[in-house]
Amino acid sequence: MFRVQLIAAGKALLLIVLAVALQVLVVSRVSVLGVTADIFLIFTVVVAMSRGSMHGAIFGFVAGIMADIAFMETLGLRSFIYVLTGYLVGMAVLRFGTTNAWGVLLVAGTASLVAQMLYGIVQYAMGPRAGFFTMVAAQILPEMVLDALITVPVYLLLARLRVIPVHRAGVGAARSGAE
Amino acid sequence: MPRNKLAWRRGVFVILILASLALLTLSFRQTESGPVHAVQEAGASLLSPLQSWGAKVAEPFQDGYQWLKTLWSAHQRAERLEEELQILKGEAIKLEEQGEENLRLRGLLDLRDKGTYPDGTDFKVARVIGKSPTRWQAWVQIDLGSADGIRAGLPVVGATPAAGEVLAGKGLVGKILSVTEHTSQVQLITDSESSVMAKIQGSRAEGIVEGSVSGDLIMDYVDRDVVVESKLVIVTSGYGPVYPADIPIGIVASVGEEDVNIYKEIEVRAFVDFRVLEEVMVLILPEGTTASSTWTTAAPTSTTTAPTSTTAAPTSTTSTPATTVQPGMGR
Repeated sequence: MFRVQLIAAGKALLLIVLAVALQVLVVSRVSVLGVTADIFLIFTVVVAMSRGSMHGAIFGFVAGIMADIAFMETLGLRSFIYVLTGYLVGMAVLRFGTTNAWGVLLVAGTASLVAQMLYGIVQYAMGPRAGFFTMVAAQILPEMVLDALITVPVYLLLARLRVIPVHRAGVGAARSGAE
Repeated sequence: MPRNKLAWRRGVFVILILASLALLTLSFRQTESGPVHAVQEAGASLLSPLQSWGAKVAEPFQDGYQWLKTLWSAHQRAERLEEELQILKGEAIKLEEQGEENLRLRGLLDLRDKGTYPDGTDFKVARVIGKSPTRWQAWVQIDLGSADGIRAGLPVVGATPAAGEVLAGKGLVGKILSVTEHTSQVQLITDSESSVMAKIQGSRAEGIVEGSVSGDLIMDYVDRDVVVESKLVIVTSGYGPVYPADIPIGIVASVGEEDVNIYKEIEVRAFVDFRVLEEVMVLILPEGTTASSTWTTAAPTSTTTAPTSTTAAPTSTTSTPATTVQPGMGR
């Protein structure tokens, strides 16, 4: 049992390192629709969908701290958002069990939307740099689409590579898979 | 799900949220030299070599991407410019067409202003919408008809682009042959059935300009004893029932005399280029009058010579002193 948990923790750590590398080396240099994808958030969603809300929250916390460091942002801001996102996604999957490709797309899009809205509210509270609707049109919606589109292949790839549990990819498994 | 496991999960979640908020608060409260910022800076400095290495590795790919992006945008720009070029070319052709149309219409106005027409004559510009398909007939169809006040037998003048001489391009086209409500058929003076009473300016010679199947204009029934030089201007004499006086027809191209013929046969070069006729002007003479009976100038000086030309061509319907216009028949 301890070995299994250790392997899971190792995989999660591997995902964190992979997320940092991908974000720093690749994703931050590629702009699509004027925005860049948030690999930390995508991985948090993937982990939360495959391993449940607690793992999602923990992964989100660590990924958030790494993101804050990588993006040179206020430490704790993204970890707060990702903890919430990871937890809510895990709860949603446990509740609705939507882990097919369309489900992943929908959950990832919603998660990205929620995360960005939270982030936007914080930014807005600290002093808005642009109009709310401008940000929605220029940042939130394009990134939501981009994150959602990237999450699906990432999820399928990680499931195929067995980095995340395969047995949870099915609806029934998601319903029965308790923490 | 076991109850204690759910509580454990919620506990972890609450702890993580609190930890995040604590970090957030510390980040906001602490100065730049505080421990939280120091941790962040340390993390950032750990990542910076990775970032600079990443930048180096990514540079060729980025350059390639940028190159592709530039290529694509250049391709799109080229397509857009090509479209714009086509539009501008179209505009230029349109403007050129309008310029030419302007010149032609100005020519028609010139004809209207400088010509001598019966009192009450109205002028209507029409567009040529059709032409005779064979050389056996020479006619054009115009876009005005009875609804526009057009009736058979009315004279038609025109202006076509021509360089050189003063009157070049402007002159007599023909007469209305038949009329529908919105279109009319104009018999050209080059039609083999057409004949126009004409005179040569500067020589007092008079005759009849006739068309032919070949499209040439011949002025016949000119007395042999009258001296006619080439390049003299031929205008309508105004004797017939259709054409008012002094409408330019063409110039004398060559003068032919045969021993067996008691008349000169003069080849006429028309002012109007019938091949490129696009607009014409219909002279709407007052109804119930004939051109010959109502002209205002030039007629008195010609009355004495009129009998000679009318009698000279007794078989020509044009020379017949008909007072009423026969639609499609009057010459």
